Amino acid sequence: MLTNDRIGGVLLLVFSVAYGFLTFEIPLLPFQAQAAFTARTMPEALSVLGIVLSLVMIIKPSSDARPDVAGFLWGRGAIICLVMVIYGLTVRPGGFLISTSLFLMAGILILGERRWWLVLLASIPVVVFFWVLMTQLLGVFIEPWPVFLRGQ
Amino acid sequence: MLEGIFSGVGTALSPINLMMVTVGCFVGTFIGMLPGLGPISAIALMIPITYGFDPATGLILMAGVYYGAIFGGSTSSILINAPGVAGTVATAFDGYPMARSGQAGKALAIAAYSSFSGGTIAAIFLLVAAPSLATVSLAFQSTDYFALMVLGLTAVAAFAGKGNIVKALMMTVLGLMISTVGTDQTQGVQRFTLGMIDLTDGISFLLLAMATFALSEALMQVLKPKSDADRKREMEAQQNLGSMKLTSEDKREMVPVIGRSSVLGFIIGVLPGAGATIASFLAYGMEQRVAGPIKGKLFGQGSVRGLSAPETANNAACSGSFVPLLTLGIPGSGTTAIMLGALISYGIQPGPRLFVDNPGVFWSVIISMYIGNVVLLILNLPLIPYIARILAIPGTVLIPMILFFSLIGVYFVSFNAFDIQLMVIFAVAAVGLRLLDFPMAPMLLGFILGGMMEENLRRALIINNDSWSFLWERPLTFSILIIAVAILVVPMLVPYISRLLKRRQEAAGEGG
Repeated sequence: MLTNDRIGGVLLLVFSVAYGFLTFEIPLLPFQAQAAFTARTMPEALSVLGIVLSLVMIIKPSSDARPDVAGFLWGRGAIICLVMVIYGLTVRPGGFLISTSLFLMAGILILGERRWWLVLLASIPVVVFFWVLMTQLLGVFIEPWPVFLRGQ
Repeated sequence: MLEGIFSGVGTALSPINLMMVTVGCFVGTFIGMLPGLGPISAIALMIPITYGFDPATGLILMAGVYYGAIFGGSTSSILINAPGVAGTVATAFDGYPMARSGQAGKALAIAAYSSFSGGTIAAIFLLVAAPSLATVSLAFQSTDYFALMVLGLTAVAAFAGKGNIVKALMMTVLGLMISTVGTDQTQGVQRFTLGMIDLTDGISFLLLAMATFALSEALMQVLKPKSDADRKREMEAQQNLGSMKLTSEDKREMVPVIGRSSVLGFIIGVLPGAGATIASFLAYGMEQRVAGPIKGKLFGQGSVRGLSAPETANNAACSGSFVPLLTLGIPGSGTTAIMLGALISYGIQPGPRLFVDNPGVFWSVIISMYIGNVVLLILNLPLIPYIARILAIPGTVLIPMILFFSLIGVYFVSFNAFDIQLMVIFAVAAVGLRLLDFPMAPMLLGFILGGMMEENLRRALIINNDSWSFLWERPLTFSILIIAVAILVVPMLVPYISRLLKRRQEAAGEGG
């Protein structure tokens, strides 16, 4: 039966095995081969532990609980993740003020808000206030404008 | 020591630090009130802002945020039966029924007075316990530290796993695995970087904490938004608070409860891994038994004792959890783990040397915890009707804000857009693991302790000429490791032993 423990166990087993394979790629100098502790020691121990624990979860799950995902809005969640990724890609070239305001507006709209005054109020003034707080009060420089509007 | 205390009082009472603890309490209360966002998220959100501060000021702000978040969590537990943190789940047992019967104001006042008293008594214990333990722990060696870290990790796994130790242990191992990504500290070789330059410095603890707590919680709320009925209930709760006055009978009932729960909470808090959640449940259970059959029946229906006990204990445990952090440099909970990360980023190594090298920081944190309690009582309590209005902000606005603060908090530290992509990956993975009932706190603790654990183990092996015999030859190391094993094995054996005893009793009964 596909219980929470078994699904998690399989995923973590795959992860632990992959991690274990990658430990062989950690370079070791020739004189370190006989040392009791090298850069590989802890990762090797961890991958073995990870494999053992995930196998225990698969073979002997502690409960029959199954994932309760009824009514989950997966599409909305995926779009929000996509918007975050796009924000990560645009925050530098697009400048803080514009990219962040657009990110907040997009997030608020995706979550179903349709009152435009609220969308605008919760995005642009918040971003400008935050920028002023960081740059003027805390002395952290944040490029406000997009690449094409910058002086140099 | 007195000199250190005075210096700590001086630092904590400086205008800037007083302002910080006040701001911290307010911000913490706001964040803690939001369902799902607890002290870990609250502190993580504050770290980028505190980077430019003096270490003592930064820590004082975070201590304020910590207390504020616990108090905020209690408020949402009482008003809307939605605990912001696990530590305030027991608060809702009697706080929410009290609020439902039109006594929300009184319930909030009981919670605030109990938190204040628990925090105060525990701060005094901390004042005594921390220096003594710090002095003792000066004798600790790398081998003992390694063993202590193993103990901390197993204890967290045992307690945070809510009965499922294997899952919690797996999460600890996962945290340790993530901590190995980056350049190896001593040999300078790259591990698990997959050839990406952005990973050569490893993964920052702030990124991991923010992604697996604040961001994943916000994503969970995107996936499963609140129903209209829930929203209506929240609006009603924050509008009708009622009187905040306590009767003399209420006070009489609270006093002994506060005394007992403070001691219990502090002791549980000091133990690695146990923390506020276990302390609050134990105090609730203890008071229910002490109350006797008549008053005990009122528990769960709006009992003053039932509300006061967990509130006192969770605050006392918060103070207690600072003992291993400040004296051994080993965090006992997810929250103190994130504070450890913050301390390290300030260039301060917590542990016995902190008491000797930075007495100002050590004492000012302890003193400011007490000030935090005072601020919560005299400022936050009267302002609760206004602070509770945060519950009226629509989720459509609040969730994108949390996403923004989480992402930008990490980006402002590194100014590396790759971190935002990495956060999304971790947050999605965390959502998956949460849905499968995997606890997150052991992973964070494993991640934070991973580097230190490896370093101490390496050092211990060098000192012992590459021999692992120190694990059983050094009495202190061996004793700590035995305790760690016992913490893991005993809960697994208890059902078998009780079954065996029952069978023997039955056999004896039949025989007799």
